[in-house]
Amino acid sequence: MSEEKEETPEEQQPLVVQKAQEKYSDAILEVSDARGELTIVVRKDVIHGLMEFLKNSPELVYDYLVDVTAVDYSLMEDVLTKYDYARFMVVYHLYSHKNRARLRVKVPVHEKELHIPSMASLWRAANWLERETYDMFGITFDNHPDLRRILMPDDYEGHPLRKDYPLRGRGERESFNFERQNA
Amino acid sequence: MGLESKLGDNIFTTTVDKFVNWGRKNSLWPMPFGTACCAIEMMAALASKFDLSRFGAEVIRFSPRQSDLLIVSGRISLKMMPVLKKIYDQMPEPKWVISMGACASSGGVFDTYTLIQGVDQFIPVDVYIPGCPPRPEDLIDAVIHIQQIVDQESVSKKRMEKRAIAGSRG
Repeated sequence: MSEEKEETPEEQQPLVVQKAQEKYSDAILEVSDARGELTIVVRKDVIHGLMEFLKNSPELVYDYLVDVTAVDYSLMEDVLTKYDYARFMVVYHLYSHKNRARLRVKVPVHEKELHIPSMASLWRAANWLERETYDMFGITFDNHPDLRRILMPDDYEGHPLRKDYPLRGRGERESFNFERQNA
Repeated sequence: MGLESKLGDNIFTTTVDKFVNWGRKNSLWPMPFGTACCAIEMMAALASKFDLSRFGAEVIRFSPRQSDLLIVSGRISLKMMPVLKKIYDQMPEPKWVISMGACASSGGVFDTYTLIQGVDQFIPVDVYIPGCPPRPEDLIDAVIHIQQIVDQESVSKKRMEKRAIAGSRG
């Protein structure tokens, strides 16, 4: 942290935010820091380039993709209005072993265009994490090597972590065909 | 020495049912199907402190074809149910089933889209153990219950008929 202060005595923005804003100034929609948890909200069209930059930049080196998930904001009006009624946000959690720094990257995704570039070419961890996000939310990942359901059965219908999905399901528990499944 | 030293040349008479059941109930071979925290209690029941071998059921092997007691201990999800069904089908008759804990018996607190609300919808269950998770003593109690059930069975009567009745009950 002292290193950053030397570089930017007047600004308190962390190094990663400065670098990201240098490169993608108009695509960074929001930067927030909640008790040291740094979050940036990014437009979808730059996400792959930005993530590649975060990973490969010799100063930042976010070499560890901790988690990929999504949030369904369909019941949160204030968030919806803020990001042009984008129903979902895909959330990436990154960690840099070199700087011991964490970063959360959020990307608003509209229901009309329910797809986002896959990060599997950058981090191999993204493969299964994106499959889970696809399984639970129905967001497809472009150029994913193997986009199948990972938790629910292959012939399951629906995406259960969406807010409009009933907790007790839509009768799958009763109607599920156990003989058809390959055990 | 064994019984011979005490009995000499004497003969016992008994029925086939009693003799077979005596053998079966005192050497149950459990097939563990542990998918959650109930399995930890099951392990405790098997280990030295509670020692299920006192009741002749210590040979727990993951081998359904050599087992006659299925212990379902834990949550069974939609995706796991076909696996459980297949394992149950692989076990040779006669076989008995213990549904251990709230989740296996009724879904427990997981009243959700993915969890089977009681395995007895798909396989016949002989003994249910309540609890979340049950204590090892409860599992031992259930094994003793199974022993009592085994004791009442008859090798001449068709087991499948009994199964059909048990199935329609659920």
